[in-house]
Amino acid sequence: MSTKSIRIKRYLPEQADEAFWQRYEVPVDDSTSLLDALNLVKEELDSSLSYRWSCRMAICGSCGVMVNGIPKLGCKTFLRDYPDEVRIEPLAHFPVQRDLVVDMEIFLQHLAAVKPWLIDEASNAAEPNRQTPAQLARYKQFANCINCGLCYSACPQFGLNPEFLGPAAIALAHRYNLDSRDHGKAQRMPELNRHEGVWSCTFVGFCSEVCPKHVDPAAAVNQGKVESAKHTLIALFRG
Amino acid sequence: MSDKPSRRQAFDEPLWWGLFSAGGVCFAVFVPAAILCLALLAPLGVVPLDAERARSMLFGLPGLLFVGAVVCLPLFHAAHRIRHGCFDLRLGRDGRNKWLTYGSAALLSAAALTGVLIGMLR
Repeated sequence: MSTKSIRIKRYLPEQADEAFWQRYEVPVDDSTSLLDALNLVKEELDSSLSYRWSCRMAICGSCGVMVNGIPKLGCKTFLRDYPDEVRIEPLAHFPVQRDLVVDMEIFLQHLAAVKPWLIDEASNAAEPNRQTPAQLARYKQFANCINCGLCYSACPQFGLNPEFLGPAAIALAHRYNLDSRDHGKAQRMPELNRHEGVWSCTFVGFCSEVCPKHVDPAAAVNQGKVESAKHTLIALFRG
Repeated sequence: MSDKPSRRQAFDEPLWWGLFSAGGVCFAVFVPAAILCLALLAPLGVVPLDAERARSMLFGLPGLLFVGAVVCLPLFHAAHRIRHGCFDLRLGRDGRNKWLTYGSAALLSAAALTGVLIGMLR
């Protein structure tokens, strides 16, 4: 067991208006995750540190932070991969509430805006919704999103304009639009067709690089552009 | 659809994106081929270039297709990149930048195609 220096960007609004950096020396071994290190700081070095976490296994999506400027899940990031000092900051592009805790309200609003649920007014709840493996395969990749928000911190367009629906919301809309059990595409497309829908994306692709579940939201957004173009063209011809 | 500005549908964006995509293909495929043939291989004598035959091809349907693929569509591709580059750098307003960039691409495209059409009519 050796020690490692981690620097955490602190923000304590009741003490100071500005954020400041604080250094901690934490004992680490090869299995120490960044979340383990934060828990160690909280339990043994500085109980005033605030951060979010829950599952420790990249399922809940709550421990997202910037690690040396890159959005990462704390539980899926291991300090053995960082030979030098580690800088930990709150997720970029979100308002900081305290230390590493950010306000994700706008992200949740964008997710809700695309109606991320099965819409099928004609369905009979008593009947099972059957689906073939091929029908499942069409959307399964996009259903793996854990709503961690890393892609929003990676997206320069969301940083410039928080009204942009963003990678996760568009991937989620695409996931339901591709689902054979769903009939809500016509209700979701007006949201995607906006300038702040799929068209704000400039295909930087960093969202897909940082996604811890390999959802590839950039692919969803660009497939969404094709769908939006088709939808707009059909709407123009129909008048 | 509500009438709030942020709910407005982007009817123009599929057009700019389509021109950007088509222009990107032309930029990647036809522009390098044109530069290789016309600016390198022809002057070096590797590709024989008969001035009269080139003139008759340019001022005809092949010429219109050539200008469309090597000038017009790449212009719209570049315009789209410049527009989004301006947005990224927070230069100007996006609405005005659209007029400036796509307008310039349209004017330059019209000038190039007019040149070919004038040559065809002479």
